[in-house]
Amino acid sequence: MPVLRFKPSRLYELTGLDLERLRELLFRLKCEVEEAEGYVNVEINADRPDMFIGEGLARAVKGLLGVETGWAKPKLVDSGLTLKVERVPTRPYIVGAVVYNVNIDSNDYLEELIQFQEKLHEGLGRKRRKAAIGIHDLEKLPSKTLIYTMKNIEETFKPLNYDKPLKIREVLENDEKGKLYGSISLLDNEHPAIVSGGEIITIPPVLNSDITRLEVGTKHLFIDVTGTDLKTISLVLNVLVSGLLERRNAELGLVRVESPWNGLYPKFEPRVFKVKPESINEILGTEFGLEELASIIARMRHNVKLEGDSLTVEVPPYRVDVSRIVDLAEDAAICYGYEDLGPRSSWRVMRGGLHYITELSRRIRTIMIGLGFTEVKLLSLTSPHTVKLLGLEAVSVEVLNPVQVEYSVLRPFMAVSLLQTLKGNLHNPKPIKIFEIGPVVYKRNDNVVDEEVLGLAIMDEEVGYEEIQAPTYSLLRILDFKFKVNPAKLPFLVEGRAAEVIVDSERVGYIGEVQPEILEKLGLEYPVALAEISLSKLSNATSKVHS
Amino acid sequence: MIVYEVVVSEGEYRLLSLMRDKGFREGSLEEASRVLGVDVSTLASLTMLLKDKGLIDVREVGLKKLVLTEKGLDALSRGLPEERLLNIIVEGGGLVDIGRVNDVLGSEASIAIGQARRRGLIEVSGGYVKLSVRLDEARASLETLRYSLEGCGRGVYPELQILREFKSRGLVKEVEDKVIYLRLLEDPGEILKRVKVEVSKINSEMLREGLWRRFKLRAYNVEAEPPRVYLARLHFLQEFIEMVRDIMKEMGFVEARGPIVEMELFNFDLLFQAQDHPAREIHDSLWIKAKPANIEASYGDLTARVARVHEENWGYKWSPEIASRLMLRSQTTAVSSRVLSTRPEPPIRIFTLGRVYRHDVVDATHLPEFHQLDGIEGYPGYTFRDLLGTLREISERLNLHVKFKPAYFPFTEPSVEGYVRLPNGRWLELYGAGLFRPEVLEMAGVDYPVGAWGFGIERLAAAYYGVEDIRILYAGDVRYITEFKIKSQVG
Repeated sequence: MPVLRFKPSRLYELTGLDLERLRELLFRLKCEVEEAEGYVNVEINADRPDMFIGEGLARAVKGLLGVETGWAKPKLVDSGLTLKVERVPTRPYIVGAVVYNVNIDSNDYLEELIQFQEKLHEGLGRKRRKAAIGIHDLEKLPSKTLIYTMKNIEETFKPLNYDKPLKIREVLENDEKGKLYGSISLLDNEHPAIVSGGEIITIPPVLNSDITRLEVGTKHLFIDVTGTDLKTISLVLNVLVSGLLERRNAELGLVRVESPWNGLYPKFEPRVFKVKPESINEILGTEFGLEELASIIARMRHNVKLEGDSLTVEVPPYRVDVSRIVDLAEDAAICYGYEDLGPRSSWRVMRGGLHYITELSRRIRTIMIGLGFTEVKLLSLTSPHTVKLLGLEAVSVEVLNPVQVEYSVLRPFMAVSLLQTLKGNLHNPKPIKIFEIGPVVYKRNDNVVDEEVLGLAIMDEEVGYEEIQAPTYSLLRILDFKFKVNPAKLPFLVEGRAAEVIVDSERVGYIGEVQPEILEKLGLEYPVALAEISLSKLSNATSKVHS
Repeated sequence: MIVYEVVVSEGEYRLLSLMRDKGFREGSLEEASRVLGVDVSTLASLTMLLKDKGLIDVREVGLKKLVLTEKGLDALSRGLPEERLLNIIVEGGGLVDIGRVNDVLGSEASIAIGQARRRGLIEVSGGYVKLSVRLDEARASLETLRYSLEGCGRGVYPELQILREFKSRGLVKEVEDKVIYLRLLEDPGEILKRVKVEVSKINSEMLREGLWRRFKLRAYNVEAEPPRVYLARLHFLQEFIEMVRDIMKEMGFVEARGPIVEMELFNFDLLFQAQDHPAREIHDSLWIKAKPANIEASYGDLTARVARVHEENWGYKWSPEIASRLMLRSQTTAVSSRVLSTRPEPPIRIFTLGRVYRHDVVDATHLPEFHQLDGIEGYPGYTFRDLLGTLREISERLNLHVKFKPAYFPFTEPSVEGYVRLPNGRWLELYGAGLFRPEVLEMAGVDYPVGAWGFGIERLAAAYYGVEDIRILYAGDVRYITEFKIKSQVG
């Protein structure tokens, strides 16, 4: 979840609430609040990017409190700006907007504004691939005509926070942001750019020019959003603009986009839903009447009109998370409060049941402790070193993107983790008798198979085939499986002291003594005998027997 | 009727029996040890106990014992002076100058001559010493004397006359040796008839033969620490998991299981997570090196619906290749989505509990692999409040009081998280839940509302057992597992 930091003074100024009250209200809006080093950190859910700036957060809180309701449509004016779009194959779409009277009046606000932009990049913008935002000082634009085009990377501009012009190529190669985002939209030797009055004012999605830089004192803003999906960039623009429009006396300036998606942007239009209380009530299990529902929904900052037996709800364009009635139902539940909503008291009686493998494993576990084996619980992710030592590389399945080497392969046999565990028990009184029922994952032909398997092992001063054979036989006999054993060869077991266990002509497991060479390499100074039985295979056998 | 007056231990009883069998009545401790075949220290302690019971007289007595003096030892190693004199005479061919004798024997010359003359072995005349008997006679006489001296060294008393001579010559002396002397006050057979044996354990023979009547069970120090026993035990984490399964079963849920190696289709796509969604990125989940599954062959209808819903809602070209990649499931909701895609007949209550895998570094609160409980519930008319009811019921059965918090998940709406306050005051996120979004139901092909939830088991188990570090749940130390104390701290 995105974490945003705010100056406490800004939050107080915007809401008039102390931190404790704010924390309670934000909890109900899916947020968590923490204080840290002079800031308030608020964890905000990714579906509410409109709250990624103080004004947006305050808007939601005031609604919940009932201090302000509904949504005020902004005053629209024509900015006179024109955005001409040429062919930009790598990120073809662009939209823009002007917001007047934003008034960057403090560093705190400037910091928040940049944080807002960055968090939108990360989530909705998919790390600038799908959408990237440029924010400019309107008054510093060289011309009212802007051209979105591809530029050769040998062309120069003065990048933000640099004191001299650089080639685009140099920015892509050397600048920190250039290295991170420079390859996203580069095509051969060309890169997207917005040109105004002959000067490059930004190279999306990487970096703006220093010409249009924002600073304390900047009054009006021009915003561009470029990307690969028109719907997404329009949403991003709406979310951003709506946060800025909460500033005192702010007005929205439309920008003419000349392109196949011709028109004035932003398209700051609400989505309209016709809602009957029943459609909300049947989702939530509530009994809201028309008027109660209207007031609840208005507190979630939607505009609501009563029309006969239904409501007309205008959802503001910044609410990216509302696309269906069910989303409005959630808004209603949040406003009413989940705790107040409470559970419905009716309880339908139904018959429960456990999976066959669970039932079988429970029976096995009680028999195993009866046989003197202690249950262990081990990870199925394990070390390739041990897998290799046991000669099981060929059947093992590797993790493509492991975090730590010790957990980079799945155990193909329980033996791998049982032996590792025995090593950790060398200091304990012998004999050590352990078992686990857990998953193994291995390759069979070209397929990956996972099974639930019982593994049991004994380590003692002296231990051999019979010591592990006896409990295995007892177990299978108590469970009433007809089985036989054949001599078998396994890469980690002593030849002539290893057998496979057959049930229903399928191999369900093995019994054997571990090779001394392997014990020595593992640093195990005591002999080990072990066995494995696949519950998954036994469950197939049973279904065959019983059907 | 026989009155048993004396209580003896098993060891004492055995000793008395031996004395009876070997006919021992009295003797020194050493002798008794030899005769009875019992080592001296055991015998000493047992006889002291029998003495306290008035069955045996044990006393220390002084016995005289002959030992060689330093001079005696010297005489044994170098020869008696008279023996050495004899050798000098032999060297001189049966006659030797007295001055030479003095030279060789020094201060011992006069004692050598005196003794030899007293035995009539030599005579002295004219400054010469010479044999007065045959050489072999002289040798035999002195050998007898030497044997006696050697005997003294072993404590054997010689004839009185020789003893006196040795004593007067300072070759031997008598010392007093302390020995423990045992004397039974009655015949051991008689004693055995009137003792009752005290034992620490009754055995099967005593019961079979009726001998228990002759025995008395010794009083035990019931407060003493017993010896340590090593038991075999079920693992506490698995026990917790089984408890949760029982709760679900009691609540009418049927258990399902699904594969650990899963297609992205069920782990993500069917749960309405766009293929370019950040949650699907490489640093959140684990993928495996394997050939992708063939989804279109097995799940053709499903993938067609998934493609349509994704493309309509997210505005991108849905890729069956991405959906068919194999990963380690990152949530057990993958099992729920599989179950849902079989379009089960309502009403349904289904749960699954199994391992999930994440791209996490191991620390006190993270493991790359842990367990989740997932449940789904649905039927026509099922509502969000029914879901809240089920969630509250589960947490109450776990003895937890949970606070609901609005939340966001890509596949549910409305969504809720459950928070519980731990004894240490921290809030623990217990579960995430919600009604499946209509888009999810549409993809699965289900036409009734379905609620879903997922619990993280390890964090819950850690809170339940009061364990601070979840790595402890996977510690493979058998001693730790078998001695683990179950103290539920929650609730």
